[in-house]
Amino acid sequence: MTHSRSPLAKIGKGLQILLLLAYAVFALFPLLWMFIMSIKPDSQMLTTTFIFTPTLENYATVLHSDYMQFFFNNLIVSVAAVLVSLVVGVPAAYALARFQFKGKEDIAFTILSFRFAPEILVILPLYLIYQRLGLYDTYFGLIWVYQLITLPLLIWILRGFFEDISPDIEAAAQLDGYAWWQVFLRVLLPLVKPGLVAAGLLCFIFAWNSFTFPLLLSNNVQTSTVIALRYLASDTVHYGQVAAAAAISALPEVILALLIQKHLVRGLSFGAVKG
Amino acid sequence: MFWGREPALSITEVWNAPMSTTLSSPRTPPSELPRGGSASKDSIAHARRRRFRPYLVLAPALILTIGIFIPFIAAICLSFTDYSLNSSDVSFIGFDNYLSMLQSSDFWHSLWITIEYAFLCTAVEMLLGVGVALLLNDENIVARFLRIVLIFPLMIAPVIGTLIWKLITNPSVGILVGPMRMIGLGDFKWAASPDSAMFSLVVVDAWVYTPFVIILVLAGLRSLPKSPYEAALIDGGSPWFVFKNLTLPMLAPVLLITLVFRLMLSLQEFSIIFALTEGGPGDATMSLSLQAYNRAFPFYGLAEAIPMMLFLWALVYFVSFILIGFWRRAQQRAAGVA
Amino acid sequence: MKICFTWPSSLAVVSAVSLALPLADSARAQQSTFDWKQASGTKLVVMLNKHPYADAIIKRLQEFKDLTGIDVETSETPEENYFDKLTASLASKNGTPDVFMTGTYQLWDYATAGYMEPLDSYLNDPSLTNADYDYKDIYEGVRNGGRWDLVPGHPTGTGQQWALPLGFETNIIAYNKKYFDEKGLKPPKTFDELYKLAKQLKGWNGPGSYGVAVRGTRNWATIHPGYMTTFTNAGAKDFEIKDGKLVSDLGSAKSVEVTKAFAQLVKDAGPPAWSSYTWYQCGADFGAGKAAMLFDADILGYFQNVPGGSAEAGNIAYSPPPVMKEGDPVGANEWIWQVAINKSSKNKKAAWLFVQYFTGKEHGTWAAINASVVDPPRKSIWDNPDFQAVMSKMPGYLDTFNTIIANTSVKFTPQPYFSESTTEWAATLQKIVLSGADPKAAMTELAKRITAKTSKLKLDQPPKTARQ
Repeated sequence: MTHSRSPLAKIGKGLQILLLLAYAVFALFPLLWMFIMSIKPDSQMLTTTFIFTPTLENYATVLHSDYMQFFFNNLIVSVAAVLVSLVVGVPAAYALARFQFKGKEDIAFTILSFRFAPEILVILPLYLIYQRLGLYDTYFGLIWVYQLITLPLLIWILRGFFEDISPDIEAAAQLDGYAWWQVFLRVLLPLVKPGLVAAGLLCFIFAWNSFTFPLLLSNNVQTSTVIALRYLASDTVHYGQVAAAAAISALPEVILALLIQKHLVRGLSFGAVKG
Repeated sequence: MFWGREPALSITEVWNAPMSTTLSSPRTPPSELPRGGSASKDSIAHARRRRFRPYLVLAPALILTIGIFIPFIAAICLSFTDYSLNSSDVSFIGFDNYLSMLQSSDFWHSLWITIEYAFLCTAVEMLLGVGVALLLNDENIVARFLRIVLIFPLMIAPVIGTLIWKLITNPSVGILVGPMRMIGLGDFKWAASPDSAMFSLVVVDAWVYTPFVIILVLAGLRSLPKSPYEAALIDGGSPWFVFKNLTLPMLAPVLLITLVFRLMLSLQEFSIIFALTEGGPGDATMSLSLQAYNRAFPFYGLAEAIPMMLFLWALVYFVSFILIGFWRRAQQRAAGVA
Repeated sequence: MKICFTWPSSLAVVSAVSLALPLADSARAQQSTFDWKQASGTKLVVMLNKHPYADAIIKRLQEFKDLTGIDVETSETPEENYFDKLTASLASKNGTPDVFMTGTYQLWDYATAGYMEPLDSYLNDPSLTNADYDYKDIYEGVRNGGRWDLVPGHPTGTGQQWALPLGFETNIIAYNKKYFDEKGLKPPKTFDELYKLAKQLKGWNGPGSYGVAVRGTRNWATIHPGYMTTFTNAGAKDFEIKDGKLVSDLGSAKSVEVTKAFAQLVKDAGPPAWSSYTWYQCGADFGAGKAAMLFDADILGYFQNVPGGSAEAGNIAYSPPPVMKEGDPVGANEWIWQVAINKSSKNKKAAWLFVQYFTGKEHGTWAAINASVVDPPRKSIWDNPDFQAVMSKMPGYLDTFNTIIANTSVKFTPQPYFSESTTEWAATLQKIVLSGADPKAAMTELAKRITAKTSKLKLDQPPKTARQ
C-alpha cells in the first residue's frame, strides 16, 4: 500500500505502531486474562494474579461433561446456517446490485428490516408456533430462524461490494464466450472476496454466539453463553470452568478467521492494491 | 483449460481501461443490455424471463425470512390484550397497554437511556474502528499480525466478555485495581455506581464490537480500486487531500452500512447491559430492551412489554431508513469517483 | 461434582457405588406392598435448574428406572436463564415438561396461572404414595413453603400443596473463624454489633477487603437473603390487609428503620462494587478472604468451606443471623428448591412417582451424605449420625441450624406481583445506598407504587382458573 493513500502517513511509522499496540492491549488483555483464569484452580482464582500453579483441571471438567455434545450441535447449526445464507444471499446481493426492477429498494429494505425486530418481541409467539409445527429443538428449526440474523447482514454487505465492480469486467468476460455462471464464479466472486469472507465470518460469529433463539427454541443446541454459564453452578462459582468453556467455544471462530485471513488481507487479486 | 478458451482481452486490461467508459455506463450487467434487432416472439419471451429474473433470484431470500411476520403480527395482536404469563384469564383491553406506556415516566427514561447508549457506543466504535483499520492497512509486521488477532474480542460471547470485564474491574479482587490506584482512581466504581455505569457499559460494548467495524472497514479499504490513486499520485495531492476526496467518498458506502448495523444492534442491545448492571444501579442503565424483558419474563406481563418493543422496532426502522437513504446517495457518488 | 452421565463407563461406576450404599433401604422399600411399577414403561421429561440438587437426581436416574421402569429425560439450564425457559414451556400448555424444579416465589405465579397440578390428592392416596414417605418428616416451615391457597395476602401453609422440597437454604452469618480467633472477636448477635464489627473490619486483609459481603444487584434476590431476614426479625412486615385490600407496609417506621440500618451497613462495610454483586460474587469474595463475613445463604458459606473449595476453606464457621434487639426471637427467610408436576402433563402418575422418590427419605439421605445436598428438608436426615458426622466438620453449622429452624419459613407475603414489587424494592435500596435517596421518602414512594397494583387484587377467593 502506497503511503500517499493513508492520511496517517504524516504521523510516522513509529507512532502508528505505538497506537496500534495501545489498542491491542485494550483488546487483548481481557482475553489473556480469560485464558489465565482457565488454567487457574478455583482456590487461587481471586487471590493470585500472574503467579499461581497452573492446572488443566478446568478443561478436563468441561470436556468430561456433556459440553462437547452441545458444542457439536451448535457447530452444525451455525455452519449450516451460514452456508444456507451464502447460497441464498450471494445471488440476492448480486441481483440487488446489478438489476434494475420495480420495488428493488423496497425489497432490499424489507430484508434489512428483519434485523429490526428485537428478539424478545417475537420469541414467545415464535416459540408457540415452533412447538405446534414440531420445529422445536430441531436443526432445521434453528437453521431457519438463524437466517433472520445472517441473511440481512450478508446481503447488505455484499451488495455494496458487488456494486463497486465495474460492469465492463463482466462485459469483457461475456464477450469471450463465458457463460453467466462462469462469469460469476471465475470473475465476480474473486473480486468481492474481501467482502465475502468478512461477511461470512461475521455471520458465523453472530450465529455461533446467538443467545435468545437457542435458549427458547431448543434443548440440545445451546450456545457458548448458556453452556459457559452452567459452570457458574450453584454450589460455588467455577470461574475457571466458565473461562475454559468460553475458550473452547471461541476455537471454531478463531480457526475460521485464520483460514480466511489470507483472503481478507491480500485483497483483490487483480492488482487493485499495490504491495 | 477447464474453463474453455482464453479470453481475447485480459481482465487486467479491461480493469485498467480509461475511466470514461466506466463513468458513462449505468450499473446494469451486460446480459441485461438490449441486444437490438427485431422484436421477434422469441426475444419478447426472452425479455419477459429476463424481467422476472431478479425477482426469482431474490425469492429464496424472501421466502426464508418472510415467515417472521406471523409471530410479529401475533405479538401485535397480543399487545391489545392483558395476556400475562402468570394468569390464564385473557381479555381484550384495546390501547390500554400503549397508553400506560406513554404515560409512564419509566418508559421515557428508558427511551433516553437507549438512545444515549446507542449513540455513545456507535460513535466510539466507528471512530476507533476506522482509526484502527487504517493503522492495520499497513504492511509492517505488527499490523500484519494484529490484523487477525484484533478480531478476537468479537468472538467471545458478549455475556462472557462482560463477566470478564466485571472481574477485571472489581475493586476488591480485580487485576485493574492496582494500576487504577496508581493513577489515583482507586475508588472508581465502574459499573457499581450510577455515575460511571454508562461509561463502563460503553467500554465493554466497544471492546466487543469495535472489531466488527474493523473487519468491515478493512475489507472496504482492501477493495478500493487502484487507478484513482495512481492518477492522484501523478497529480501530486497531499495524503489528507487524497483521503478526503478519494478514500472517504469511496469508502462511504461501507462506512454507512457498518454504521447502520452498529446503530441498529446497539439500540436493541440486551445481553451486555443485563450482564453488567441489570439496568441498575437504580435505573441508571435501564434501556428499553431491558425494561421490556423485565416486564415480559420475570414480571410475567408479556402484553405490557410488546408496545415497548414495537416502539423500539419503529425507532430502529426510522433511523435505518434515513441512513439507508444516505447510503444510496453515497453509493452513487462513489460510482462517480471510481 | 462431575457431570458424567454421557460417559457410559463412569455412569456404571457411579451406579455401582450408589447402589451399594442404600441397598438396605431400597430392599426395605421393595418389601413394602407399595407398587412402584404402576407406571412402568412411561417416559418422563424433566426440566432442571443447574444445581447440586439436580446433579444428585441425575446421578440416581438409573436407580429410579430400575425401581419403577420409568424412563427419564432431563435438561439442565443455568439458573440465570432457567425460569425464562420454564415459563415459556409451561405457558405453551403442551404437556412438556412433565416435572420441573421450581422455587417458592415462582410457584405463586405458576399455580395462580393454572400450570401446576395440586398434590394433596396424591399425598393422601395410599395406592399412589408409599407408606414410608412420611410427609411430616419434612420440616414444617419447609413443606409449608410449597403450600398456598392462592389468595393474595394469605400466608404460605394454607390450601393445596403444589410442590415438594428437594433441599433448602436458610440465611445466616458465616465468618472467617481463623481471623476472629486470632483477634479474639465473636460473631455478632445484634444488628448493631454486626454493623460495628463489620465497619471495624474494613481492610482487615489487605487492600480491597471489607467487613461483610451482601448481595446488591437490581434483582429480588438482593432483598431475599440477609435483608429480608433482618427485616422480619425486626418485626417489620411487607404487606398488610387494610379494608379488604392488600396494601404495602414498606413505608412504615420499622421498615424505614431497618432499611436505613442496612443501607448504612452496605455503605460503611459492604463490598465496594456492591450493586454488581450477586450470590456468587459474595461467596467468591468470602472464600478468597476479601470479606470477613458473609450474610447470605447458609449453603453458600458451606461450599466455600469444603476442602479445595476456596482459599479460605477450613477457616470458616457459622452463626445465626442478627436480631435488632437482644432477646428477640431469631429466625430466617428461606429459599426452597422444589419439584412439581405440570398440570398439562400426560403422565401424571409417573410424574408423581418421580416427585415422591426424589423427595423421599431414601434419596434425600443418600444425597445429603454423598452428593452435598444441603440443607436436606427432612428431620430424619438431620438426626442421621452419618449426616451429622459430615456436617460437624463445619464449626457451628449444626448448632446454627437447630437454633433457627423453628422460626425459618417463607417470610414474604404471597402475591402475584412478587417479582415486580421485590425487584423495585431492590432498585430502591440501590438508590438509597448509591444515589443518596432519602430512606423514608424512597420507601414511602415504593410502597405507593406497589399498593397501586396490589390493591386491585381480589382477596376473597382464589383466581378463577386455579379454583379446584
